[in-house]
Amino acid sequence: MNLPLPDTISHEETLRYLGASGWQPDGATRALLQKAEELLRASAQPRAVWRELPLEALPLAESGQDLARHLQGCDAMLLLAATLGSGVDSLLRRLELSDIALATAADAMAAVLLETVCDTLESQLRADYRQKDRWLTSRYAPGYGDCPLTLNEDLCLMLDTVRGCGLAVTPQHLLTPRKSTTAILGLADHPVTGARAGCAHCLLKETCIYRKRGMTCAD
Amino acid sequence: MRIDTVFQRKEYVFLDGGMGTELQKRGLRPGQMPELAALTMPETLTAIHRDYVRAGAQILNANTFGANPKKLARTGYSLEQVVSASIACARQAAAETGALVALDIGPLGELLAPAGTLAFEDACTQFAQIIRAGAAAGADLVMLETMTDLYELKAAILAAKENCTLPVFTSMSFEARGRTFTGCTVESYAVTAAGLGADAVGINCSLGPAEILPFARRLCRSVPAGMPVFVKPNAGLPDPDGSYRLDAAGFVEQMKEYQSIGISMVGGCCGTTPEYIQRLHEEFSGKTPAQKVPLRHSTLCTPVRFVEVDGITVVGERINPTGKKRLQEALRQGDTAYPCGQAVSQAEAGAEVLDVNAGLPGIDEAAVLETLVRELQAVTDLPLQLDSSDAAALERALRIYNGKPIVNSVNGKQETLDAILPLCKKYGAAVVGLALDENGIPPTAEGRFAVAQRIVAATDAIGIPREDVYIDCLTLTASAQQEGAAETLKALSRCKQELGVRTVLGVSNISFGLPCRGYLNTTFLTMAMAAGLDLAIMNPNTPEMMAAVRAFRVLTAQDVQSADYVAAYANVQLQATQTVTAAAAVTQSGDALFEAVRRGLKAEARAAADAALQSREPLEVVNTSLIPALDAVGDGFEKGTVFLPQLLQSATAAQAAFEAVKAAIARTGQTSGGKGRIVIATVEGDVHDIGKNIVRVILENYGYDVLDLGRDVPPAKVVEAVRATGARLVGLSALMTTTVPAMQATIEALHAEGLPCKVMVGGAVLTPNYAKQIGADFYAKDAKASADIAKEVLG
Repeated sequence: MNLPLPDTISHEETLRYLGASGWQPDGATRALLQKAEELLRASAQPRAVWRELPLEALPLAESGQDLARHLQGCDAMLLLAATLGSGVDSLLRRLELSDIALATAADAMAAVLLETVCDTLESQLRADYRQKDRWLTSRYAPGYGDCPLTLNEDLCLMLDTVRGCGLAVTPQHLLTPRKSTTAILGLADHPVTGARAGCAHCLLKETCIYRKRGMTCAD
Repeated sequence: MRIDTVFQRKEYVFLDGGMGTELQKRGLRPGQMPELAALTMPETLTAIHRDYVRAGAQILNANTFGANPKKLARTGYSLEQVVSASIACARQAAAETGALVALDIGPLGELLAPAGTLAFEDACTQFAQIIRAGAAAGADLVMLETMTDLYELKAAILAAKENCTLPVFTSMSFEARGRTFTGCTVESYAVTAAGLGADAVGINCSLGPAEILPFARRLCRSVPAGMPVFVKPNAGLPDPDGSYRLDAAGFVEQMKEYQSIGISMVGGCCGTTPEYIQRLHEEFSGKTPAQKVPLRHSTLCTPVRFVEVDGITVVGERINPTGKKRLQEALRQGDTAYPCGQAVSQAEAGAEVLDVNAGLPGIDEAAVLETLVRELQAVTDLPLQLDSSDAAALERALRIYNGKPIVNSVNGKQETLDAILPLCKKYGAAVVGLALDENGIPPTAEGRFAVAQRIVAATDAIGIPREDVYIDCLTLTASAQQEGAAETLKALSRCKQELGVRTVLGVSNISFGLPCRGYLNTTFLTMAMAAGLDLAIMNPNTPEMMAAVRAFRVLTAQDVQSADYVAAYANVQLQATQTVTAAAAVTQSGDALFEAVRRGLKAEARAAADAALQSREPLEVVNTSLIPALDAVGDGFEKGTVFLPQLLQSATAAQAAFEAVKAAIARTGQTSGGKGRIVIATVEGDVHDIGKNIVRVILENYGYDVLDLGRDVPPAKVVEAVRATGARLVGLSALMTTTVPAMQATIEALHAEGLPCKVMVGGAVLTPNYAKQIGADFYAKDAKASADIAKEVLG
């Protein structure tokens, strides 16, 4: 299903992804972000597929403790996959040759755009489920904590993402197009929030700039 | 039914309807693989086929849509088992009426490079395996359907044509905006599939009959008159929960519209059932398909860009090493970033097609041309003109080209026609014919016209339509043969009028040996356009030539309401003022280049570098202005006073300055490497390479000669590059945990070969410890660190 582009794409959040959190950008950088947004809007085609499935549809026993904790108390799950499409990949490849500053800004902003699109979709789905007295956890993706990336394979097969939104998994379990994401949301008949993976199993914990500042990426 | 019925187009042929949705209805559980139905629930599968046959379907798609090596890998069944069992089920049902059975093939489930990591030839190999299995199991035809990537479809068509003699039907799925997921247009699909020899083309899935109708109409107009066209729409658009609401009666009501557009086969896709096919049969049987009236246009394309050569069309000439030292150096070193950058800048300047030539003494032309085509089509959506006279080089390039290219060139020599025209035919390419032969270039227009006639006789004979033939009447140098210009133009007009072909000229040849070449080039271009020139091979970065093209389009009423002209020139006065300001800044400040780079101003940096190079040696400019500026910014970045966007804007500005420096060095005939060579790559299996690309820019800015091997690079290729260049430093990047093993394998391969190079690694999931563990010499936490490491290793 095609998803609309949001009215705004946060430049502040883009700067955070660029490691310049909280910085008041100079004029040149503001212009850079503006240009990145124009190009991104012209090439992004956000699409998503989602499906409610029983918990048994994924090999959860082999998918780590963090995901199991996230789904605690849930009786089903909602699988979701979203992509900005191959046009963004082409744009980034082109910019990486002609203007690496613009390319990096557009790359970061694409990540922000993808999150924004997913947030909007998630809140709609959450509202729909509330009508049916069902509650959703937050989104959890393979690769978080100790949940293996290999789970992407099963998840995308269950969602038939190739046919549904043009998203495929490489033999190394990466999602293509590059600006794509998958998510697992727990479903329950009572309020649930899910559990964040936390830093314990995070691969980035040694080099994380947030941890160095005594924070987490969720703050 | 006999397959001939399809090609006679005298009556409608009925296809079947949805399979996946029917299987689910009849007991397939979530998580159970539909591809295995022939083995796990054969009676049910045969019953579905039988219901379609009884509803009137004359071609049954066997349940082999997802039967590919990747999907079946973990099932315990071989591809051949699944394919033959599936075809047997369909055949059993088909026997009742003599319906035909199609080997049904969907996408492989992996994206081809550059979007993914699946190589084109690997896709061909997988399709070939499926096709051989299907042919052996007795399929009557091959149905390639629900394709969304034209490149994957091309791999499948080639595999079918090369591995069986069955008719090949192709079908793509379009979104409501009229493009596939990967941006392919209906017309690009039509001309590419037809050119590659598809026997019937269609559209299926994604949308309902009403939404597909306008696209089917365009498809009918874009393929040859005799080619059958079909549609298999879904039962309307799906609800968010995936169900379909358009019932059989509503479906057929919408399908009635198709009776006037020229399609000759009808069926259904997701959500349609035997009832839909039965009603379709009631509505369409006994009726005669409408005639198709194809538009005969000269076309070239990539998936997303469809170029109709209708009026003057600009072919960028910059990716041809003849007389271009900087490009020669890049091709010799295997550096594709430079020609790719040329492609992007020519596209921005207004080129509509790009000429690609790798003919340089001392290099393997076939290998380099193939690499160039692969890399160029990852960064530009302009169609390519494959420029070579070497049949082997052309074949490799034609094979991996995504879309419909033009081959430059054949000529009147019989051996050339015999060697190259069959390739153009097989791969569906347009072709340039040079009006010369064994005896050289005929001096008169009559002589060249006579050669053109022979070329056209040969293209006619092999079945290349006239609209795909472009005659080059050859631009002679005015300083040597002054009367030649008039003969060229006379021949051009005659070819166009009397042979019904298109024309092409390499415009800039006219001015060799004379000063102010732009004046002559522009005037000759204008004369040639007036004489009917279609393709002008020229430098689109020359403003006066592009101005002549745009002005010509206004004066011949091709540029409606002068819209493009206005868009191009409305702000020209303003741009001129800015240039002056930049130039003034250069002269006022002490070290304008240092300042421009420090502040990240690209245009100013380029102008300042050009100015500095007037009076200073290139290396001095690098060492006293460029590097100190980068150091100042880099130090600020480390201290946290300069942020990444600023660092990168400075890097971009320095890069622009460096291009000026490199051009200056290339003019002196030296190679530009001053500080040593570095090979960088994103490792095999990884497609996330922006970090590596940032590193490339920064290292180049520091004066290192960087050979960037790109992404998804196998260890052997890194080893080969290090050996060939003698690089003493290698930089590897990997983003994900799943690709770090490939990084380790690359380091091990370098060590195993005993190559005396150091290895630095970087990427999100790496740490200093991890880097040590996998045998790297250095861990680079960011691009600035990579420059520090380079300094330590190479000085």
